[in-house]
Amino acid sequence: MNQDQPTCHSASPEPSPSETFVAFTAGLWKQNPVFVMVLGMCPTLAITNSVRNAIAMGLATTFVMASANAFISMVRKLVPKQVRIATYISMIATSVTIVDYLVKAISIPVYKALGPFIPLIVSNCLTLERAESYAGKNPIGKSILDGLGMGLGFTFALTCLGTVREVLGAGTFLGFPLFGSNFEPWVLFLLPPGGFITLAMWLLTFTLWRERSDKRKRAREAALEKPVEIAS
Amino acid sequence: MTNSWQMIRLLGAVSLLCGLLIVGTQVNTAARIRSNQETIMRESVARLLPGIEKQIVYGIQPSGDLIILPGIEVSGPRFFAGYDAAGNFLGVVMEASERGYADVISAMYSYSPDTRTITGFQVIDMKETPGLGNKISSDLPFLENFKHLDATRPIATVKHGAKKNPWEIDAISGATISSRAVGRMLQKSVAEVAPVIERNLDRIKRGQ
Amino acid sequence: MNESLSHIFVDALLINNFVLCVFLGMCSFIGLSGKFSTAWRMGVSVMFVIIVSSILSYGTNLVLVRFHAEYLRIITYIVIIAATVQLTEMFIKKTSPALFRAMGVYLPLITTNCAVLAVPLFQTSRNYSFVQSVVFAIAASGGYTIAIVTLSLVRERVELSDVPSLAKGTALTLVLAAILSMAFMGFAGMGNGG
Repeated sequence: MNQDQPTCHSASPEPSPSETFVAFTAGLWKQNPVFVMVLGMCPTLAITNSVRNAIAMGLATTFVMASANAFISMVRKLVPKQVRIATYISMIATSVTIVDYLVKAISIPVYKALGPFIPLIVSNCLTLERAESYAGKNPIGKSILDGLGMGLGFTFALTCLGTVREVLGAGTFLGFPLFGSNFEPWVLFLLPPGGFITLAMWLLTFTLWRERSDKRKRAREAALEKPVEIAS
Repeated sequence: MTNSWQMIRLLGAVSLLCGLLIVGTQVNTAARIRSNQETIMRESVARLLPGIEKQIVYGIQPSGDLIILPGIEVSGPRFFAGYDAAGNFLGVVMEASERGYADVISAMYSYSPDTRTITGFQVIDMKETPGLGNKISSDLPFLENFKHLDATRPIATVKHGAKKNPWEIDAISGATISSRAVGRMLQKSVAEVAPVIERNLDRIKRGQ
Repeated sequence: MNESLSHIFVDALLINNFVLCVFLGMCSFIGLSGKFSTAWRMGVSVMFVIIVSSILSYGTNLVLVRFHAEYLRIITYIVIIAATVQLTEMFIKKTSPALFRAMGVYLPLITTNCAVLAVPLFQTSRNYSFVQSVVFAIAASGGYTIAIVTLSLVRERVELSDVPSLAKGTALTLVLAAILSMAFMGFAGMGNGG
């Protein structure tokens, strides 16, 4: 366990390097969009039947979030409260349209595999949530980092799901066969129910892990506090 | 009043900016997207007609006449004619689709007008059950059906192991519905396109 | 594709159920299925918004195609949906304050429900005619309502049983959804009459 945790909570008005760093790392782990905030479920469940698709979808979302956050942060002081959601949505939709064309230009098979879920990034609750709760209030640099961090955290979560589903459901990883030819794939994991089950298992794992580390932290704090009390 | 005027101005500016960005991307990627799509189509056709060097896309007009299409972006009834390096006609590749078990299966197949047989088959897009229905794209004994499939008679899909005649497709056991869908799509597509090809065969062979 | 209306209907309602088979509208499916009373209200509001925005997007798409501006599709569809949601909200507020109090919270959420955006996108990419689009919208939103109402009924039962504290909440809901989704897989062969 790292001991530099307290610096993250420094309440200085100036954006210190550590604060910028937190803007980036929060999404990766502590506030992971899928495992902790449980947002953006549709692509999480639909596009994770192979690792390759999961990574492609994650990166597309990352790009959308970073660029939409940048636009929104740029105009945040100009936008009156009443039309804020409309502005945010049109900016997100613009980023999504751009990604839609870029993916098509990069690789048609990937575009086909992601199917309608690229245009549907617009209505991924995650993008609007970050726009509303972060990019609308923070300077542009930090907003981009937040978008990148959240996006990469999303990619990480999608890859976790994709790995389980592809390895169990098809016996391959990124298309390479892992087991011998005698392996009978557990097809259920590639089908919709498999998506639900895999996500449920990952959520359980995460909750278990978080509860344990919380318990450990509390125990440590309790151990630390006692001598301090005696000293004062 | 000034307040709502401000809002309208702002929203106008935002939409203008968004519009410019979208149009910019569209203009810059259009050529790339088209060439990507064409490459994929070309590769699929080449896989079905080995030795192909040149291909022509023919569109079928409602009157039954053929026109040469400039590229693949014009959709509608069409087929691809393949020629080798010397310009000899190799066969045609056609597109077909049919509802399978889960969703529509779309495929391409090669057809030889001289022998009136189907000579190859390839699934382009499907959502069939992994491990069962999706074997129609990978199961080698099943794909063997399409090396010489007689198309002079109505193509029929028969139960696994019951194939007796050259116009029958031996279904995959456990994926009968998907196999039947393949049979149906071929039957429909051949019945639709083959007469047009027959009528214009000389012209197609000359590559005009 | 010239699909028959009954085919489109059964397909969107059951075989390719939007929630359980295509994974659309997951957030509200997980988040608002705790109680039957909220679930059916959400279902009905989503149905209304989907049908209205499907009709409006059909008309808009004709205009976009006419002016070769297909690249504006995503942005116009989302604006249509946002506007429909806003109008629905105002309409309900004016006509039935009681209903508004009951549904008010859910209405803004519909904008970011991907099932709503998916209907216009699918009907465009599948080249549906106007009647086909309307049938598709009714069936797809009906499928959504069936899924969320069924899940809410199951969840109300499970509420009463003793579950390990760790598994309470989203994880348990997902497992229930998985079971429902398996049940819906049974519909898959139905599209094969001919």
